[in-house]
Amino acid sequence: MSKKKIICQGVGKIFIQKGVQKVHALDQIDLDVEENEFVVILGPGQSGKSTLLRIIAGLEKATTGRVLLDGKEVAGPAPERGLVFQRYTLFPWKTVLGNVEMGPKLRGVPKKERWETAAHYIHLVGLDGFENAYPHQLSGGMKQRVGIARAYANNPEVMLLDEPFGQLDAQTRYYMEKETVRIWETEKRTVLFVTNNIDEAIYLGDRIITLEGKLPGRKKSTYKVDLPRPREHTDASFLQLRHEIIEETQLLL
Amino acid sequence: MKKDSPKMDDRTESKVIGQAARKNFPAFLSGVLKNRFVLYGISILAFLILWDFIAILKVFGAFMPRPEEVVKYLGVMMVDPLAGRTLPLHLWASLQRVFIGFAISVLIGVPVGLFMALNPYVNSIVKPVFDLLKPMPPISWISLAILWFGIGETSKVFIIIIGAIVPCIINSFNGIRLVDPELYDVVRMLGGKRRQEIWQVTFPAAFPAIFAGIQISLSVAWTCVLAAELVGAREGMGFIIILGMNLSRPSMIIGGMAVIALTAWLLAVSVSWLEKWVCPWKREIQ
Repeated sequence: MSKKKIICQGVGKIFIQKGVQKVHALDQIDLDVEENEFVVILGPGQSGKSTLLRIIAGLEKATTGRVLLDGKEVAGPAPERGLVFQRYTLFPWKTVLGNVEMGPKLRGVPKKERWETAAHYIHLVGLDGFENAYPHQLSGGMKQRVGIARAYANNPEVMLLDEPFGQLDAQTRYYMEKETVRIWETEKRTVLFVTNNIDEAIYLGDRIITLEGKLPGRKKSTYKVDLPRPREHTDASFLQLRHEIIEETQLLL
Repeated sequence: MKKDSPKMDDRTESKVIGQAARKNFPAFLSGVLKNRFVLYGISILAFLILWDFIAILKVFGAFMPRPEEVVKYLGVMMVDPLAGRTLPLHLWASLQRVFIGFAISVLIGVPVGLFMALNPYVNSIVKPVFDLLKPMPPISWISLAILWFGIGETSKVFIIIIGAIVPCIINSFNGIRLVDPELYDVVRMLGGKRRQEIWQVTFPAAFPAIFAGIQISLSVAWTCVLAAELVGAREGMGFIIILGMNLSRPSMIIGGMAVIALTAWLLAVSVSWLEKWVCPWKREIQ
């Protein structure tokens, strides 16, 4: 029934620093993501998870292996994959509307049409009334909403999120996680979400893939999260799974 | 209660000082003394009194006019021509040179800086020569400029360009080099081409730095025109200063200096106003 959207086959990455020094960042990652599935890649810092996401995005080239999207090999960045960055990376000289309409604008969509698209996604992320605000006038959580809206407005088939809430305070982060689920349930996409936070992973994912805690990044285990949404952080089965993951990964020390 | 509020601190401090003084000072006076603009006025007034004092005591001999004499002489220069021109016309002569030299500097300097930053070959060719010439003060070119171009307009504009082009090049170059590389990733992810990266990211992101360079250029140009006019000019603010020396008329010199300072200040204010208009987003200096 469900088809495989993203397939990683033996993806590995070796960075060469200062011409000679080799850094082995990723080793033999095999990974499947089904269409409209929400997959979380969980790993501590320095586990190669962001590198993996950048390879799937097409911003980095894999040293070994390959990434397939709908059976076609990924050769570079393309609008079919939307990326939400760890840092907000908004264009400071553009308003919220200007940032969100950027994707359609680059593809040459006429103004009226792309403004409608942008307005739709600004509404979806709950930023009505802030269309003409500049990024410096927004709080951290609002900036990342703009980042999400900008990625969505380009109508990608796959959403890649690279620790998008890492810079937010705990409360805003929790709220943004709820929002992420709401947005995803409103407009389903295949999502690959990278985080170092166990609670975030369990709250969001259909499936959690953990990476080993040191370089080179290797896949450790996969957890299926069968809890109904919206999930509760204090739910017994939530805590059970959390305990299980901590036991195995010793992530949270 | 907000502990770190400066207003609170001021009040507590003035309370401590005020305790003893309260009996002697009427309450409104301590209020007046806390007003920023009142203090500004006191500062200026004290400066003028000190100046007047020095003039009356003849610390610098006969060559120190009193403030009122300078103001009177400025009034005279507004209507009585010096070397065929009144003061506003001399100012206009200097400003014209500044605008011509400044415009040429921006038109050449900004593109050169942009090309150096965008193309490593252009950078490798231009940078060594630029680094060699950059530390030479523009004023040191005056003699050569006069030998090459005579004492006409060309040599003065040349000196301005030598000075004003440097900040244009440096800031355009650095502005582009310091663009956040992740913004390029954003455009690439959204499906942008190389050309769109340059138009949608490089230029707007570098714009505040380029504009800051243009601002510095303008003030450098204003300094350079005066230096250039000190040598062999028949009009301009620099000429007035030299004329004042030759005629032993210090009121003319100090009056000219005041006009020069005021003009520089007005130029700076109008450019920063222009900046607020063309860059409504916050400037982020990292």
